[in-house]
Amino acid sequence: MRLPMIAAVYRKEMMDLLRDRRTLISMVAIPVLVMPLLMVVMTKVMSNVQERSEEESKTMAIAARVKTPAVLEAIRKAGYKMVDKSDLRAAVEQKEISVAVEETTGPKNILELNVIEDESNPASSFVAAKIRAALAALKEVRIRASLQRSGVPESVLSPFEVKQVNVAPARRMAGKIWGSILGYLILLMMFSGGMYPVIDMTAGEKERKTLEPFLSTPIGRGEIVAGKILAAITAIFTTAVLTLSSMVFSLKSFTTGQAAKELSVVPLDAGAVALIMLTVLPLAVFAASLMIAIAMFARSFKEGQSYLTPLILIVIFPAFLGGMPGLKLTTALYLIPIFNASQVIRTILMGEVTMLPFLVTLFANLVYAGIAAYIARTRFEDESVLFRT
Amino acid sequence: MPAISVERLSKVFHDKKRGEFRAVDSISFEAGRGEIFGLLGPNGAGKTTTLRLLATLLKPTSGTATLNGCDIVREPEKVRGSIGFLTGDMGLYARLTPREILQFFGAFHGMNGARLKSRVDEMIETFGISSFAGTRTDKLSTGMKQKTAIARTALHDPPILILDEPTSGLDVPTARTIETYILEQRAAGKCIVLSTHVMEEAEYLCDRIAVIGDGKLKMVGSMEELRAATGKHRLREIFLDLLDMK
Repeated sequence: MRLPMIAAVYRKEMMDLLRDRRTLISMVAIPVLVMPLLMVVMTKVMSNVQERSEEESKTMAIAARVKTPAVLEAIRKAGYKMVDKSDLRAAVEQKEISVAVEETTGPKNILELNVIEDESNPASSFVAAKIRAALAALKEVRIRASLQRSGVPESVLSPFEVKQVNVAPARRMAGKIWGSILGYLILLMMFSGGMYPVIDMTAGEKERKTLEPFLSTPIGRGEIVAGKILAAITAIFTTAVLTLSSMVFSLKSFTTGQAAKELSVVPLDAGAVALIMLTVLPLAVFAASLMIAIAMFARSFKEGQSYLTPLILIVIFPAFLGGMPGLKLTTALYLIPIFNASQVIRTILMGEVTMLPFLVTLFANLVYAGIAAYIARTRFEDESVLFRT
Repeated sequence: MPAISVERLSKVFHDKKRGEFRAVDSISFEAGRGEIFGLLGPNGAGKTTTLRLLATLLKPTSGTATLNGCDIVREPEKVRGSIGFLTGDMGLYARLTPREILQFFGAFHGMNGARLKSRVDEMIETFGISSFAGTRTDKLSTGMKQKTAIARTALHDPPILILDEPTSGLDVPTARTIETYILEQRAAGKCIVLSTHVMEEAEYLCDRIAVIGDGKLKMVGSMEELRAATGKHRLREIFLDLLDMK
């Protein structure tokens, strides 16, 4: 292997890739623009749905078949127009009214108040929640009044309180949530981000008939594969870093409520970043080599896409599973590629990474990367693959 | 020692549909330095497979060949360093400029620094590429592309040039530029293997001609030898006669 030759192949591949609109879109535009855009659109859509439900609920009437005056009064106080309907369920189903309240008598003569709603209709759910709250408040008032009449202190309702004391520091809590998102995304992006560049430099070269002159130079097949793997790794890392930065920015900027609080701390310091990089580097070599070996079989760019798309779907499962909290792992499970890295990234983000799983993951993925690189090299020596028509 | 020596070279492909297919069937010939050796044959006769075997892109099923003293089976990288191979499809990187393509291929041949730069400039000058040397190849005409492809083939000044239909689809002035270059290279002592469908071009350029049909070498010789053997005068008639196509 001659380094100047590998460097020449790498330069050629990078220059070619950076001038390909398709690669630039998948490598830069999608990670940088799509993620924030998706978050903005999702937040906007959710808030629109909420607003629309509120607005719609104001225009719709409710019905109540209730005999108890206090209950009827509580429903009236909720502020909705009340109408009469003979079939309450049918009226709710057909959206003639948003909610109906029906008073029945249950076992032991206990009063039952059935709030009939259509949960598939956001406006109906919104009104039903308000009616239930009004009835719960009435129930509370009645209990307290009964207790007072009987001379029983109100404290009997709450003999003790249960409080949560969380010893996990903020960083670990953030690591738990970020770990399940980022580990999965990093690995997914490594494969999906490398897909277009890899197809372009393998099946694309075959389709454009540029491979033959390239192979007729004295450059070694191993040198060609090494240069191409390096270029694919560059593309993979660029996509992964851009996607992650964009994801972190979007989640921090556009998330609201409890999720926003949990996502406010990003558990990434220089040490964590270095460990994550060390974890994903052998996996990047593995991803690049595996995709090159597979895409070399394809005769055209289109065929290459149909070969690599299933691979990405296969990657999703172990990456997702590895990011799930609460998994009890044995050392042997750290031999499973992708799953192992996903798990290690999660523990790095939680600040709980230990030496043995980290080293087993690193070593196992290095071995897989070596095997995949060897297979990729043999594809470049197999004339039935190179000249497949 | 001849520049190219081919001995009983064969290539068999295995195809699920066609079964065993003998694309090149025990062909032997020699080509010397300062010689233009023509390879003629109808489509599917085995010309491109023969050229790919000589360029070490394919491994022979049996037989061998030596190019510039290097064996195609045992020393493929040395063989590739001694040849310039122009494929029928040109195979230029569409998103790179002619200058960039020449620079990269120079590097693949181990050239660098001032030597690479001066050789790239020389090729650009020789083939009249200057006006479009900085334009992306996908924006160039067929003639401009072919000039670039020939410049890339000859960049490292190889002793053997293997040219697969170098003037295919070109206008007369561009074809003439390339023919002139081929003749200059012969004068410089290079061995040139030329595959073409243009009979007039083969007759004008080639010192000796080999006619291939169904993977077999039908005959090798100079125009005079081919005329004497077939009793025909024009190469087109000789070609059809040797392939039993009346």
